[in-house]
Amino acid sequence: MSVLRPLDKLPGLNTATVLLVGSEDALLQQLADSMLKEDCASELRVHLAKALPLPSNVNRPRIDLIVFVINLHSKYSLQHVEESLHHVDASFFLGRVCFLGTGAGQEHHCILHRNTVLKLAHTYRSPLFFCDLEVEDFRATMAQRLVRMLLICAGHVRGVSALNLLSLLRTSETPPPEEL
Amino acid sequence: MSVSQQDLDPDSTTDVEVVTDTEEELIKECEEIWKDMEECQNKLSLTGTETLTNSNAQLSLLIMQVKCLTAELSQWHKETPEITPLTEDVLITLGTEEFQKLRHDLEMVLSTIQSKNEKLKEDLEREQQWLDEQQQIMESLNTLYSELKNQFVTFSETRIFSELKTKMLNIKAFKEKLLSTLGEFLEDHFPLPDGNVKKKKKNVQESTKQLITLHEILEILINRLFDVPHDPYVKISDSFWPPYIELLLRNGIALRHPEDPTRLRLEAFHQ
Repeated sequence: MSVLRPLDKLPGLNTATVLLVGSEDALLQQLADSMLKEDCASELRVHLAKALPLPSNVNRPRIDLIVFVINLHSKYSLQHVEESLHHVDASFFLGRVCFLGTGAGQEHHCILHRNTVLKLAHTYRSPLFFCDLEVEDFRATMAQRLVRMLLICAGHVRGVSALNLLSLLRTSETPPPEEL
Repeated sequence: MSVSQQDLDPDSTTDVEVVTDTEEELIKECEEIWKDMEECQNKLSLTGTETLTNSNAQLSLLIMQVKCLTAELSQWHKETPEITPLTEDVLITLGTEEFQKLRHDLEMVLSTIQSKNEKLKEDLEREQQWLDEQQQIMESLNTLYSELKNQFVTFSETRIFSELKTKMLNIKAFKEKLLSTLGEFLEDHFPLPDGNVKKKKKNVQESTKQLITLHEILEILINRLFDVPHDPYVKISDSFWPPYIELLLRNGIALRHPEDPTRLRLEAFHQ
């Protein structure tokens, strides 16, 4: 059982690596494509995983940002993410993790309530976005946001650290949901 | 970077030396930074890992956040911003890069606008062609319209007129024929009395000379009826042969005036 740690390797030259974790392969692939389409100065690497832990025998670059994608239409999606969270080092949550809820647009298909995901994100003090990844325009916008975040997490933006961004995001966040 | 630098000043050898010096300096600086990073990385790898459970996550994360933010803050306080040495060639290199970037962007804008222009030109041409076609259609329709209009006019005025004319002529001819046939009939079957009737010959010998034919009597009656419709009665004169008057009255062709027996009129067949 390997635990994923931030800054465990020296960075590659001008590269930023993101890890997308989620049980919906197709959606992750589409999101990854959209992110790679984004125009930016750094070289982007996108890794996809169904769940953590990652296999330990593979040589992979330093991971700068983990995005947990939760599909609100499936109970297992949340379960996978919750289990995966146990394989992430605590220092990763200092701005290098974010949650992405998808499918909130089609409310009658939702099995998970938004508040459930909101609570999870609040527990791990990490930002949460909602975005319907099936809609191309929304996905492109989300990809743009994630790329910006990734560049900050990878240290390619001068003067802003991941923790810095996290504290900035927190101020605009809605107050934590009441205990159910 | 070095390539662009040498492109910039290919002739001056002294500049090249200076450039290589600055380049070496920069590379040295980078090497030092990389060494620092490696040291830090070593230190980092020594720290243990810690995973979270749902229950302790919030508290420990908040504590960590406070620690890290405090550390970051003190780091910002301590740090004095360093900038790369602003020597001439560094500035030139940076400026060149910036200009090249700008040029690239501007070229892109130019090509975009050119392609847009071309597209607009094509659109214009297409629209023009379309307009021409429409105008041609309009023209041909107009000519067609005017032709039809002319046809209509000739049809309505001349043709109908001539048709009516021929019809009228036919009818006139038919009328003439009818009249002459009727006249012949009257002449053949209702001649003026001659000297066959001896009794009357003596009595009315004087007046027989002035007698008129049945044909003429009918004509007088008809003319009277149509010329003076409000008073169609005709005075019976001596020139009317009485048997013929009797014939007309008996057959209901003529009517006597209800108060004046000396006058009679034609039955109004036409009403």
